[in-house]
Amino acid sequence: MLRYSLRRLLSAIPTLLVVITLSFALLHAAPGGPFDSEKVLPPQIKQNIEHAYHLDEPLPEQYLRYLGQVLQGDFGPSYQYRDTTVNDLIAQGLPVDVTIGGWALLLSLLIGLPIGIFAALRQNTALDYGPMAAAMLGISLPSFIVAPVMILIFAVHLHWLPAGDWGGGSPSHLVMPVLALAAPYTAYIARLMRGSMVETLSSPYIRTARAKGLPLRTVIWAHAFKPAMMPLVSFLGPASVGIISGSIVIETIFSLPGIGRYFVDGALNRDYTVVLGITILYGIAIIVANLIADLVYALLDPRIRYQ
Amino acid sequence: MPGLRNSRRRLIGTLLVGLALTGCGENGSLISAPQIEVGTALADQQALDRQIGASPRTLDPSLATDVASQHVLDDLFEGLVTLDQAGDIVPGVAARWQRSADGLTWTFQLRDNARWSNGKPVTAQDFLYAWKRILDPATASEYAQALGPIINALAINAGKLPPAQLGAEAPDAHTLIVHLVIPTPYFLNLLTNMYLAPEYAPAIKQWGEAWTRPGHMVSNGAFMLKSAVINGNIVATKNPYYWDAKNVHLTRVTYHTASGASTVSQYLGGTVDWTDGFPANDAARLKRVLGSQVVHGPYFGTAMLGFNLDQAPFKGNRKLRLALSMAVDRVVLAKYLNHGLVLPAYNLIPPLKHYTAAIPSWAKLPGDQRHALARKLYREAGYSKAHPLQVAMTFAAGNAGTRQFMEALAAMWRMNLGADITINNLQWKVLLQSLQLRQLKLFWSAWIGDFPDPFTFMQLFTSGFPQNHGDYRNPAFDALIDRAQHTVDPTARYALFTQAEGILNHDAPYLPMYFYEASHLIKPYVKGWKSNVVDRHLSRYIYILEHKGG
Amino acid sequence: MSTPPPRSRPLAHATAVTEAALTGADREALAGRSLWQDAWRRLRRNRAAMASLILLGLIVLAAIFGPMISPYDYYTPQWTLLNQWPTLAGGHILGTDNLGRDELVRVLWGCRISLMIGLVASVVSLSIGVLWGTTAGYVGGWVDSLMMRIVDILYSVPFIPFVIVLLVLFGRELILIFVAIGAVSWLDIARIVRGQTLTLKKREFVEAARASGVGGFAIIRRHLIPNLLGIVVIYITLTIPSLILFEAFLSFLGLGVQAPMTSLGVLVSDGVADLQSFPYLLIVPSAFLAVIIYCFNYLGDGLRDALDPKDR
Repeated sequence: MLRYSLRRLLSAIPTLLVVITLSFALLHAAPGGPFDSEKVLPPQIKQNIEHAYHLDEPLPEQYLRYLGQVLQGDFGPSYQYRDTTVNDLIAQGLPVDVTIGGWALLLSLLIGLPIGIFAALRQNTALDYGPMAAAMLGISLPSFIVAPVMILIFAVHLHWLPAGDWGGGSPSHLVMPVLALAAPYTAYIARLMRGSMVETLSSPYIRTARAKGLPLRTVIWAHAFKPAMMPLVSFLGPASVGIISGSIVIETIFSLPGIGRYFVDGALNRDYTVVLGITILYGIAIIVANLIADLVYALLDPRIRYQ
Repeated sequence: MPGLRNSRRRLIGTLLVGLALTGCGENGSLISAPQIEVGTALADQQALDRQIGASPRTLDPSLATDVASQHVLDDLFEGLVTLDQAGDIVPGVAARWQRSADGLTWTFQLRDNARWSNGKPVTAQDFLYAWKRILDPATASEYAQALGPIINALAINAGKLPPAQLGAEAPDAHTLIVHLVIPTPYFLNLLTNMYLAPEYAPAIKQWGEAWTRPGHMVSNGAFMLKSAVINGNIVATKNPYYWDAKNVHLTRVTYHTASGASTVSQYLGGTVDWTDGFPANDAARLKRVLGSQVVHGPYFGTAMLGFNLDQAPFKGNRKLRLALSMAVDRVVLAKYLNHGLVLPAYNLIPPLKHYTAAIPSWAKLPGDQRHALARKLYREAGYSKAHPLQVAMTFAAGNAGTRQFMEALAAMWRMNLGADITINNLQWKVLLQSLQLRQLKLFWSAWIGDFPDPFTFMQLFTSGFPQNHGDYRNPAFDALIDRAQHTVDPTARYALFTQAEGILNHDAPYLPMYFYEASHLIKPYVKGWKSNVVDRHLSRYIYILEHKGG
Repeated sequence: MSTPPPRSRPLAHATAVTEAALTGADREALAGRSLWQDAWRRLRRNRAAMASLILLGLIVLAAIFGPMISPYDYYTPQWTLLNQWPTLAGGHILGTDNLGRDELVRVLWGCRISLMIGLVASVVSLSIGVLWGTTAGYVGGWVDSLMMRIVDILYSVPFIPFVIVLLVLFGRELILIFVAIGAVSWLDIARIVRGQTLTLKKREFVEAARASGVGGFAIIRRHLIPNLLGIVVIYITLTIPSLILFEAFLSFLGLGVQAPMTSLGVLVSDGVADLQSFPYLLIVPSAFLAVIIYCFNYLGDGLRDALDPKDR
């Protein structure tokens, strides 16, 4: 397993390289440049700027220059925020997202897993339909409906919580964003867990175990839980990266200075370096998360062996 | 100044109600402090939370281009002159100034007690340093051309001359002399802007690009930078060395960078005291609920549609363009769609003191007559029910208000003319590029005035001007504008502009839609501001009344 | 693998002869029940699923025929009727929007577009993802590594520029929006399916099939895919709503359906801005959206229960 992990991590490097190259190509293929503005720049000034940022060099040269910088840990300057570097932006934004995403993930697991298992055990009764219907609500109402409604109720009318802002990460500022972010994930996890648990519980070996007279709790925890977790693990791999890497909707509605907004604004404004920097970060996170997911997979199902 | 997107991303501008200069002479060194009545109860905490609508791209005065940056820099830096609450020009670092008779030479006397936030005196050399820095090609400033009126400025920016050749000098630490290329009536307005602010050379030399960070930045305005988070909040605290510090009441200003629908929630929830705009659809309800906290007033900007004059169907087809213009019910749009938050526009220049706008005669016609005239021109242009005009109208994405406006326009043309105009919503950068490549035939094209003078709008239609997206070329028009720019007498100059507007009304190279208004929600305990056409409200005048929860 | 010996013919002949001698009812009883008939029977018994099916059917019918029979269209503004609240007293039952257009017609049009997007994008996504995932999981080895590596790579590529490039280079046709959305969303399914395939690969019936010499692709088709259907169906019913919402997100960025055409996502995101002044502009499309999503989910659950091979 260790050898497998090492091999995966090493082979992640060419993966990352392909990601960077593809992203670089895509970004430059999209029409418009970072310094295109309503006020059309006189050619002289345009030249000045492009020269200062090496944007007048041929693409392959820019690409190699960028790679060289990245290898030294320098993601380059931001074109949109003229006196800030990408490293600064990430340093500013990442803690925000990790905090909110981390809490949201924890919350959604703590709530979603038990609900899913519970509903599976009470399959086709009211205690199954009820929670699942509630979970459905979490999925069917996007965060850009839920969040403003929460703000309307708790901030505007009740004045219990602030209407937005990061506030340095103080708890009152975290409550609504975390809840809003966690809601759909809780719902997904509950539903996925319930469905998977139901399938597992009806499999022959579980029925055998129950027929043998094993107590339900043993059956669940010793036999059913692990296989039932598999689809969840597949889901959680990329989902945990997604939840942490910043939801643009949550960040926009609650005015949080997170990476999601930098990324989307960067893509829309052709801030190449910002997008590439965050992409690399995201790529590394995904690769690691997927690896962990696969390792957990093997832990859960002893029949899976990685050569 | 352009305003193609929603007003959040406007480029900066100096907007004044009237002309600033009244011939040569001295201006007193007035201190424009708010006159607070004796006995007014001020809050213990003099802290303001204001929204600026977007995250500033940078806090470096030489690099800033957007309105959000300007709001913050207005408080952090002060130029030779500055604005009072009404948006009129008052002395800043310069206590007095004189203009030569031919309008080409300005002399400024700086006050003795102007200080940087580290206690050092502000000198004329600080201004020269900053101006040369913004012009230096190595700085790669996007706004360098704003210094164009100064002799040699453009050549320096092009790299043809060394910065030392700039047409300005400082014979001593408190005197600054500037030489202009042509008499520039709006020169003082330019001086209020961040691109002509002074800069403290030692800080820049020491920290390089990072000099704008809190702790490194040295500024000369009423406030200094405490902290800054991109897409988060920016905090500024009172500058104890500011020359007028004793009249500055606020001790802390927090700039919030939220935009969109969350601005109103934050206002109602108490997070901010001052918003930068509010959604038009909410206007009726907000006025009902908040009363006089809803503030809106004229703004020096025009929203219009551009025609591509190099391609069919608008090339050489003046009648078609006029028909489209006449078929738009501007009053209906302004009143219903925009809830009275904009003014219908039939000409190019927004309401400007002392300026007489040229309004086309058909603007006064009652609706049905106007429509009939429009239909007649439409037919004469070669179109009919059987052969309707089919063209795409393009605008930039992300703004529901603009989109609804476009839908309304398309519907109006269908109902009034039978034209089949489709709406094309392009992503912002894609739109910009398509504009530059002249691929768009009919497009949204708003403009916010850079300074309170018709020239900033007239420029748009001079041949070869970079923002002349429609490629309108009329030598008679160009000649008129050139003459106006060389006319010293303000009345005569304005009359020439009115004439030029008349030409535009006849040629219809664009379609005026409405004049902008600046709108805010302001808490009743925030005082010391006035509605002004520049929509610049310096925090140095603002004070907070005693109120519950404050 | 060696080809199986031809063993079916004599038995088939005998069956045919016997069948010919049977009467109708007996024939039906003896003909046996196929997987799908079984499933349908089970589904019929699931009341929630059937209710969802009917409700969805009604919504689809309304979305198709509603705009045709309504006296209002979805694009003509009515200046004096802006933002009318819903009223039963004739006219605009669900009120009017910011341009005075009938909200009911707008929402039905929105349903049309959103359903089309959800369905088509799901099919695109599903096809690519299932094929990819099962192949990777089944074949295993370096092929698996390579295919999953490609998934990893594609996961990390920022999709916004990709979608922008796609939509700009090839125009803003509705079809292309489907393809773009489908093309960026097959990754999750592929991952899950591949994981499930890895597990199923080791199960008894696959070993049995292999032992009797059934070919690789046939195994995938006949054994793996039906067994994967349960998880895939759940995932699809979770994906359709997220695809609809993804389109809303794209619209928010200016890359979605062009005005005055609308989708539920556009109506909802516009409605949020009007939440405080005209809440019905948010409630109405959200309600439709929620109902559609609920229905798909209950239907999906029902299908999963119905198709579950373990009960056989």
